[in-house]
Amino acid sequence: MPVPRRVVCCWVLVLSGVLAVQYDAATQGSNTGPRYQVDPWWPRPFTNQSWVLGSVTGVTVDAQNHIWVVHRGVDSLETNEKGMMLTPPSATLCCQAAPSVLEFDQKGVLVSNWGGPGQGYAWPQSPGSLAVDAKGNVWITAAGLEAPPTTPARGRGDAVVGEAPATAPGRGRGGPPPGPADAHVLKFSRDGKFLLQIGAPGKMDGPDSQTTLNRPSAVAFDAAANEVFVADSGNRRIVVFDADKGLYKRHWFAYGEKAAGAAPAAYAPNDPPAKSFRDVTCIDISRDGLVYVCDRSSNRIQVFRKDGTFVKEGIVSKNTLGATVTGQFGVVSSHGSAWDLAFSSDAQQRYVFVANGHDKKVHILQRDTLAPVGTFGSGGRYPGQFLAVGSIAVDAQGNVYAGEQHHGKRVQKFVTR
Amino acid sequence: MKRNLLIGGSFVVLLVALAVAQSAVQRVAAAQAQNGVMAPRFEVDPTFPKPLPNGWYQGQTIGLWVDAQDHVWIVHRPDVLDAAEGASSQTPPTGECCSIAPPILEFDQAGNLLRHWGGKDGPGYQWPDSNHGLNIDSRGNIWIGGNGAMDGHVLKFTLDGTFVMQVGKKGVTRDSLAQDHFFQVAKTFFYGPTNEVFVADGYGNRRVAVIDAESGKMKRFWGAYGKPPDDKAALAQGAYDPTVTYQHFRGPVHCADVSNDGLVYVCDRTSNRLQIFKTDGTFVKEVYIARDSRGDGAVWDVAFSRDKEQKYLYVADGRNQKLRIFDRQSMEELTNFGKGGHYPGEWYSLHNIATDSKGNLYTVETYQGRRLQRFIYKGLVPVKAKQQGVVWPGTR
Repeated sequence: MPVPRRVVCCWVLVLSGVLAVQYDAATQGSNTGPRYQVDPWWPRPFTNQSWVLGSVTGVTVDAQNHIWVVHRGVDSLETNEKGMMLTPPSATLCCQAAPSVLEFDQKGVLVSNWGGPGQGYAWPQSPGSLAVDAKGNVWITAAGLEAPPTTPARGRGDAVVGEAPATAPGRGRGGPPPGPADAHVLKFSRDGKFLLQIGAPGKMDGPDSQTTLNRPSAVAFDAAANEVFVADSGNRRIVVFDADKGLYKRHWFAYGEKAAGAAPAAYAPNDPPAKSFRDVTCIDISRDGLVYVCDRSSNRIQVFRKDGTFVKEGIVSKNTLGATVTGQFGVVSSHGSAWDLAFSSDAQQRYVFVANGHDKKVHILQRDTLAPVGTFGSGGRYPGQFLAVGSIAVDAQGNVYAGEQHHGKRVQKFVTR
Repeated sequence: MKRNLLIGGSFVVLLVALAVAQSAVQRVAAAQAQNGVMAPRFEVDPTFPKPLPNGWYQGQTIGLWVDAQDHVWIVHRPDVLDAAEGASSQTPPTGECCSIAPPILEFDQAGNLLRHWGGKDGPGYQWPDSNHGLNIDSRGNIWIGGNGAMDGHVLKFTLDGTFVMQVGKKGVTRDSLAQDHFFQVAKTFFYGPTNEVFVADGYGNRRVAVIDAESGKMKRFWGAYGKPPDDKAALAQGAYDPTVTYQHFRGPVHCADVSNDGLVYVCDRTSNRLQIFKTDGTFVKEVYIARDSRGDGAVWDVAFSRDKEQKYLYVADGRNQKLRIFDRQSMEELTNFGKGGHYPGEWYSLHNIATDSKGNLYTVETYQGRRLQRFIYKGLVPVKAKQQGVVWPGTR
C-alpha cells in the first residue's frame, strides 16, 4: 500500500521540526556569559593597497599585547584575488598576497611582517596555528592540506563567456599537493629569523615516533618547564618536546592513553564518544596548569594535566557534522564544532572561547564545567559574521580576535558590550 | 671692499630671487586650492545592512537598485552556497548555519530586511537559471535578467513579487539579431522619458537592446560603435590584447545606463571600456579604463551622481577593486577608492553600484564577496589622492 503523500509530508515536517528545536536550544543556550560585539574598525587597512589576506589559519596575542596572524597567502587566493601575481598580470592595482606572518598592534596597525621559504627550513604547504612563547619566539605549525573529497563539489562561478576557466597555477582542482606533506613545527625569532624545526616534511614514522610528526596543527608552552606541547593531529596525539632543542619528552593519546588506538569512524552524534582523537586542532594551557585540546570533528574538548593524565571532556555542539568542499584553491574541510579555543583574560580564566567553524560562531563555555554560557557571531560575510571561524585569541583587556579560513579571510576583533 | 659689495649684492639678489620664488609657490598653491579639482567624498558605513534574519546566508550578489523610498534592493544567487556555507540546508543538515535566503531582498535605510521573494517559476514566467541584474522603473516595477546557460529573457514584477511580464524565454541560443529574445542578460535600465528599457545583452549576445517598458516589444538594438551586432565577428576577436581596438563588444555587455541628458553608458567589460551612445544608438565616444586589465575586465557597472546634471560618473572596476569617479563631461578620472579584501570598504569582486536620493553609494560583490555595502556621501572635497584606498571616516 503506497504511503499517502500527506503522511510523508508530515513526517518530514516533524523530523525537521525536531532538528530545528535542537538547533534553537543550542543556539540560544542560557546567554549568561559575557557579551561581545564586533569592532569593524580593526585592523586598519593595509598601507599597501594591493595586499590581501588569504585563508587565516592562526591568530595569537603576545606578551606585548600585539596580535599575530598567519595565513595561507597566495596558495589560498583565487585567480580573481591575485591578479597582480598572474602571468601576465590581470590587474595592476589588485591584488597580491600579504606576507604570511603579520604582527598588528592594539590599534590594528601592521607593525611587522615576514614569512615564506628560507634557508634551513621548509615553509608549510599550509600553516596551522601560530603561538608566541614567553621569550617572544614565534612558533608555526605545518598543518598540511586537506585530501580531495570523494563527492563532487557544488557551486557555480560567474564565469565570463569566452574566458578560460580559472585554475590555480601549480595545483589542479583537488589534485595532489606538490612536494612532501607537512609534518613539522617551526620556531622563529619575533623578527622572522629561523631557530628550530621539529619533525621534517614528508617524514612520518607513526604515532609513537619521538622525532617525527604528522600534520601538527597547534602548539602551547610550559615556560617553567621550557616545554612545547604539540597537537599532532595526523598522529592523533599530544606530544611534548624540549622548547630549545626539540628533544622528545612524552606523548599521549585521547583520554591520556599511552597506546595509539584505531582511527575512529566518521562522527555520528548518537555514537559513544570515540576512544581516539579524530583531528586535534588546538592546544592551550591554562594558568592553573591544565592542557585543553580541541578534537575538532568529535565536537569535543579534552582536558589533561601536563603529564598527560586525563581530567575531563566536554561536548561543544553535539549535532554538528561537516562538509568537504573543493574550491579553486583546493579542498577545504569544514567539519565539527571545536576548531580552536582561547581562555578569557581574567586571572581565573573563567571562560573558554571555542571557534566553531562549521556552525560559524564562537561558543563561550564556563571553564570549570565546560558548560555553555553563550555564543556570538553568525554565518555571513558582514562585520561580526563568520564563514569558517577557525582560530581565536584573547588580549590582555579581554578583547577577542577570531580568524576565518576558506573564503572568510579575515581576522576580526570583538569587544565586550 | 669691492668684492664684499659684490658678495653682499649677490646675497640681496639671491634673497630677492628666493622671495619671488616663494611667493610664486604660494600663489600657485593658493590657485590650486581655489581652482582645485573637487570630487565626491564617500565614507564606508559598516553598520549597513544588519545581518540577515532566519540564519539566512547571502550568495553571489549580482544586482542592485535603490527605489523611490530609498529602499535598497539586491538580487543574489542562493544556489551558489557550498555545502559548508549552507550546512543547515543540507539533507540531513550538517550544522546550525546557514540556510538559503530568497534571491530578491529589500532593505530599509536602517539596514533591516523587509520584503524577500523569488527563485521559482510561476504561472507565465520562468525564473532565471542564474540571476543577474536588478532595476526598478519609475512605476515601481522590478526588472531582472539572467545569465544562465539557458537564460534568454528579462522579467518584470511588482515590488511585492507579483509577476507582470516576461520578455524573451529560456532555452535559446546566441543571436544578437533576435527580435523576440535575449541571451544571458547582465542588466536592465528603465529610461523614463521614452518609457523604454535598455538591456545589456549580455554574456551570450553582444549588443544593447531597447524594448518598450509596457509591451516588451523590441524597438532597436546595436553593437559596438553603434553598428549592427555580428556575433561571428565578435567571437572571432580572440584573447584580449590591450593594444587592439576591438570593433565588436568583447562582452559581457554588462551595463547600459542612460543619463538624464540622454547618453547611454555601455560597459564592455573585458574590453576595459565604456562606449557612450545617444539613445537611438548613435555612437558618441569611448573611454578605456585600466586597459591593461585581463581576466574578467575592469568596467563592470556605472552609476550617476545625484545632482541634476549628474556631474560625476561612478564606475565599478571589479578587476582592480576600485570605485572610480569620473567627471562625466570630460570623462577624466578624478580619483578612485577601495581595495581588495573582505573588510568594510574592501571588495572581492565589485559587481554593481547604485546611489540613493542623498547621494550615498551602495555596492554589491559577486563570487566570494557576497555583500551589500553602503558608502555615505560626504559632499564635494578637493582631490588629495588619485587612489584613496579604503575610505574610512575622517575621524578614524
